[in-house]
Amino acid sequence: MKGLLFAFMAGFFITLQGVANSRISEGIGTWQAATITQFTGFAAALLILLFVKEKRWRGFKEVKPIYLTSGALAAIIISSNMTAIHHVGVTLTVAAVLIAQLSLTFLVDINGWFGVIKQKMRLPQFIGIALMVIGIIILKF
Amino acid sequence: MLIGLLLALLAGSLVGLQNIFNSRVNERAGTWPTTTLVLGLGFLASFLIGLAIEGKRLFHLEHMEPWFWFSGIVGVGVVVCMVNGMKWLGPTYTISIVMCSQLFFALLWDSFGFLGLEVVPFTMKQLVGVLVIGSGILLFKFGGAREIRAAVASREEA
Repeated sequence: MKGLLFAFMAGFFITLQGVANSRISEGIGTWQAATITQFTGFAAALLILLFVKEKRWRGFKEVKPIYLTSGALAAIIISSNMTAIHHVGVTLTVAAVLIAQLSLTFLVDINGWFGVIKQKMRLPQFIGIALMVIGIIILKF
Repeated sequence: MLIGLLLALLAGSLVGLQNIFNSRVNERAGTWPTTTLVLGLGFLASFLIGLAIEGKRLFHLEHMEPWFWFSGIVGVGVVVCMVNGMKWLGPTYTISIVMCSQLFFALLWDSFGFLGLEVVPFTMKQLVGVLVIGSGILLFKFGGAREIRAAVASREEA
């Protein structure tokens, strides 16, 4: 039950962030919004980091450098997401984001990229993605 | 319309990629060092691209409202909820619920024009579309074949 509530709230926060960012970018511009929201998020995380006991800084050295850089992708993610919400609204944006996200995960899984355990292609995942695409078509047309 | 969808697809693919990379870092460095690094780099990249595109205008914040400063902190809420959800439910259940919840709130806020959004009228079509997408997510996540990865991932979380 507790876990369910946490997961539900995570979804709430993710969509809230998308909507709020999109609203902020209308006020001050896309890159201004991306910069400010990432900065305040960074400052908050840093503050929390100071208070948590476990600080595995050395862990960074054990990871392939390319994996450490993925945070930079957020600049493109956030600006695209804001612009998409302006163009097609929140529901369609979130739906398309989720489809792409799951499709990419699927692609990585079946190819075993980035050290992920390789998996065979299965029908349920294809049907799942097909259903999501049909859902988008129903939403829009 | 098309450009909006394409941008959303681009964002989603990059989110998928970012999640995989982040979980690699997370395994070694833990939640908060990882989160701090990810948001710090996101800030740096946004700042540099913004500076390149907008120049001095990046610092022009005419229509700034006080609450704009607090939106980024919502990201901390996301991390806390995800980590705790995973702890109780494991990755497969957590991600399925998170995704369905994202869609639910998207539909809700589009319908009410939350935060000054342009209202997208709530219709049966909207509801059916979202339910079909939701069932697609559940089928994807629980349609077998992914059990091995789920087991590995939950061991990594623990």
